[in-house]
Amino acid sequence: MPEEFLEALAGRTGPAERKAPSRLKARVYTALLAAQSPLLSLSKTPRLCVFEQVVRIAPVGERLKSGNPCRVCHARILAENLANPPIWWPNCPYTGFKSS
Amino acid sequence: MRLYEVNVPAPSSLDRTTAASEDLDLVVAVMRRDRKASARLVELYADPVYAYVHHRLLPRTDLVEDLVQDVFLAVLTNLAGFRGESSLRSWVLGIARHKVEDYYRSRLREPESALDEDQQGPAEAPPDPQLDESLDRERLQDKTRRVLESLPEEYSLALLWRYWEKRSAREIAACTGRTEKAVERLLARARQRFRRRWNDA
Repeated sequence: MPEEFLEALAGRTGPAERKAPSRLKARVYTALLAAQSPLLSLSKTPRLCVFEQVVRIAPVGERLKSGNPCRVCHARILAENLANPPIWWPNCPYTGFKSS
Repeated sequence: MRLYEVNVPAPSSLDRTTAASEDLDLVVAVMRRDRKASARLVELYADPVYAYVHHRLLPRTDLVEDLVQDVFLAVLTNLAGFRGESSLRSWVLGIARHKVEDYYRSRLREPESALDEDQQGPAEAPPDPQLDESLDRERLQDKTRRVLESLPEEYSLALLWRYWEKRSAREIAACTGRTEKAVERLLARARQRFRRRWNDA
């Protein structure tokens, strides 16, 4: 087979536009947060979802505010396992991955 | 789609400066361990990384998701090294490319499997295929995917590395610990099998 054929073929068949599944984005995000722990305190983080807001105003120490409340959140579990998870919380990253 | 690809002029140096500044802002925010910045990083780059890895890992699409995750963890680890000399997108895709090549390397380093059919060779060499100009990109992509999927992994990886990643036989040999001659023999057999499958497809 002439090499030119494969070279031309490779030139015409680069990676196609392809969207990553939202559950993969959710998994990747969770992995990033786990690798970054402890995180920037919720007291210094903008655009919090309702659950993060609860942790932010709760009388708890910095250790919890620098933790990852998403670990115990239903939104994360749904987002990591379903293609179109039934979550609509504003400012929730897992909700954001559905439409990104 | 970027606007300037439609019908407006290419970005001015001011646009490029703004984009570079946005990239650096995002990098700094992720390094500050700002969870929202990490979410933004995933939103922006998961699609291009996924598309790239998916295409380059054929036929092992079952490994794509784990590799995409590895790419992002490597991005995180190496973020301090981002200098803004290229766009963040290019830099992230560069890491994806390294990860894909790590996979190629690990698979092609393994002892060559016995692929009897090819060692015997066909009784008569099939005709050289022609690249049908009338086939649109999508159909060509689909046919290519099907043919690569039908090959032994060793062959499809060798072809992907050589022609889609544009690495020379010498570079592949250096990465895999094989001799250049051995890589050329592998490529010759892979091309032969590809030709047969392409003509049959």
